[in-house]
Amino acid sequence: MSAVDLALFLTVIGSIVLFGGAAALALGWAFKSGQFENFQHGSQSIFGPDEPPGEPTDAFPGEPAPRP
Amino acid sequence: MDRGMVIFLGALLTFSSSWLGLVLFPFWQLGGEKPYQKDETDDPYPVPLQGLALAGQKVYQNNGCMYCHTQQVRSERFGNWWDANGEQRTGADIRRSYGQRRTVSRDYIYDNPTMLGTMRTGPDLANIGVRNPSAPWHHTHLLNPRSANAWSIMPSFAFFYTREKVVGSRSDKALSLGREWTVNPGYRWKPSAKEWDALLAAQGPALAAQVGLDPASAEGKKQLLDYWLTTPEEDYQVVPNADGDALVAYLLALRKAEVPLPEAKE
Amino acid sequence: MPAPLTSEMLEANRARSAAERAAIDASCRGPVLAFAVSAVFWLLMGSVLALIASIKLHSPYFLTGSAELTFGRVRMAHLQAVGIGWASLATVAAALWQMCRLSRAELIYPKILYLACALWNVGTLLAVFGIIFGDGQSVEWLDAPRYAPPFFIAALGIVVAWVVAVFRRRREPHVYVTQWYILGAVFWFPWMYLVTVFMIFWAPATGVVQPIVNWWFGHNTLGLWFTPVAVGTAYYLIPKIIGRPIHSYYLSIIGFWALALFYSWAGMHHLIGGPIPGWLASASTVGSMMMLIPVLAVAINHHMTMRGHFHRLRYSPALRFTVFGAIAYTAVSVQGSFEALKDFSEVAHFTHYTVAHAHLGAYGFVTMIYFGLFYYMIPRLTGREWASPLLIRVHFWCAAVGITVYFVALSIGGWWQGRMMNNPDVPFGKIVTYLLPYLFTRSVAGVLLTVGHLAFAVSFIMNLAGWGKRRSGGPTFFVEPGG
Repeated sequence: MSAVDLALFLTVIGSIVLFGGAAALALGWAFKSGQFENFQHGSQSIFGPDEPPGEPTDAFPGEPAPRP
Repeated sequence: MDRGMVIFLGALLTFSSSWLGLVLFPFWQLGGEKPYQKDETDDPYPVPLQGLALAGQKVYQNNGCMYCHTQQVRSERFGNWWDANGEQRTGADIRRSYGQRRTVSRDYIYDNPTMLGTMRTGPDLANIGVRNPSAPWHHTHLLNPRSANAWSIMPSFAFFYTREKVVGSRSDKALSLGREWTVNPGYRWKPSAKEWDALLAAQGPALAAQVGLDPASAEGKKQLLDYWLTTPEEDYQVVPNADGDALVAYLLALRKAEVPLPEAKE
Repeated sequence: MPAPLTSEMLEANRARSAAERAAIDASCRGPVLAFAVSAVFWLLMGSVLALIASIKLHSPYFLTGSAELTFGRVRMAHLQAVGIGWASLATVAAALWQMCRLSRAELIYPKILYLACALWNVGTLLAVFGIIFGDGQSVEWLDAPRYAPPFFIAALGIVVAWVVAVFRRRREPHVYVTQWYILGAVFWFPWMYLVTVFMIFWAPATGVVQPIVNWWFGHNTLGLWFTPVAVGTAYYLIPKIIGRPIHSYYLSIIGFWALALFYSWAGMHHLIGGPIPGWLASASTVGSMMMLIPVLAVAINHHMTMRGHFHRLRYSPALRFTVFGAIAYTAVSVQGSFEALKDFSEVAHFTHYTVAHAHLGAYGFVTMIYFGLFYYMIPRLTGREWASPLLIRVHFWCAAVGITVYFVALSIGGWWQGRMMNNPDVPFGKIVTYLLPYLFTRSVAGVLLTVGHLAFAVSFIMNLAGWGKRRSGGPTFFVEPGG
């Protein structure tokens, strides 16, 4: 194995360990912090009192968005 | 929750293994290949490019030739087609004489970059040095591909050539093409009706005497023009520059899939 | 059970929430606009380069004679301008803004992001002009000359750090599915890029390992960089615009992890029949088929969310583009899965069919969703409405008709090109001649797309110049930035 080959080999192995490790940590954290519980609540998290569900938020300029 | 953890750890393992599979494994399997020699007296294959051909590889690379031309030959079993009797057959590449066998990883161990290509707007070039070993043909084709194939959509590579006044005798490298291709390199040139009339007035009789046509009749005038356009210019010549020479040297050095390799047997 | 809120308290809540959203948007304004403006600039450059390349394929004497504008160079420069320029810069803008909004956190130290934006632009400039002046590398997706990658790496480093920093400062405890996608993308892409640049340029691997790494990267650029952010954007915009949560949030999370799991396997079909180990192509086919899971998850989800709200496509420009993009995502992914099958791929390989497929993905899906995002995001950053509904309509119809014509023409032409190439009795010249009308149609489509982009650029400039009406009240309960 030449020096270049060795360098490449280490890069790939190193990145797989790093990558797999980080992904494992992310998943572990997601479970522990309850990210996969109460999906109903999660899907609502993008709305707020100012932009509640039921209110459309985009329209052509100068034209009112029709109420649902 | 526990079951979820197991599922996701399994998923993760699969994921990491894809990087392992797609990058590391080929690297391992293909990284250490050596040239092939049948026995000690046999010449090794492949050999690294050298000199002009190596410089030509860079010209090929920097001008993006790879985006229209592949350098890989698919196997006898690749791709269905139906012959005149409606029988299903396979393997067009070898029948189109792109190579005598499919290409294998060993064909590329000295390629850097490895320009396999993914598009065949033009034909494959893996063995172009064997399929068409004529340097003059490649030069005329590169100057303006329409000079070789009227249907071609390949760009003119006139910037690999110089048009210059002949000093003394013509250069050995000068392209032997009619003036229609060389007066304005890269384009197909034709004199305007006025220019042609002026030319005829000046040297028409001498020209007509050479070929025995009558410049007075409309038909004769047209035939004379065709003849004149297909003869080379007398005092100008088109010669390849360093890049043109190098690129053709590279093309002629492309001889993949011509030497039998044990692993390419089917 | 909390006490029922009085209407004053509701109003106060609403105002507080609106002020918070406005403050977040205001903190993003400078850097995100910088990325967005650069993205649109490179989109225009890329369109011009694309048109030149496209015309050259049916009229070879067009702009012939100059080395700088030869087809091979222009094609490489086009991919860099739209891939590294437009799509990647738009991805960064999308990632930054949505990460701030979804984390309910302001962007900190925005000035350093200007540096990242400048570095990225210098890198793209070097890439495009380096290629034009003869330093192209002929490594698909990585044609940029060797002096360009350091700029991208530095810029990416800053962007990733900032996305993660915003995420860490989040006030919203729930990690929305879009954030998962963005985090995945900013994690995968720099890593892929570094490994690939290392293995192809800095310490070149031997022979066919290079194209293997190249296509692992090339396909994953679409799959693990543009796709996650664009799909994530659709997951934010569609529910947000129509005011209705995602149909099945559970399915969307499954979709994310399935994409993460299978996409990286799918790239090797670009090398089918080539001098690579057979198992690689087989594994890739399996990965491609498995991609049907996340794709259908997204398709079902977006469709069910939109159900009963399709009439809104008439009223919302952002929704139009986004839904077009989401539909194209399903189409291109299902097509891609089947394209990986052997009999199919043996025809489509090396033809314009693949080019059509790539553009349906990169344009019909990714670019259209980013257009949708820009139509939604820019007014909220500049505080101005779009000045001209007409320009928006011109943009939409040019883009939608253009990409459809493009895709249909090249798919048909490419398919028969493949069938004829597989038949050794058909001379090559016949195939070239057969393709001419399809290639010409592609140029017409290219003109349409370019006109659309010009309309978009004009709209954008008018908005930045303050020609649109000030946003106030309206459907978003918008609070003036700084006010």
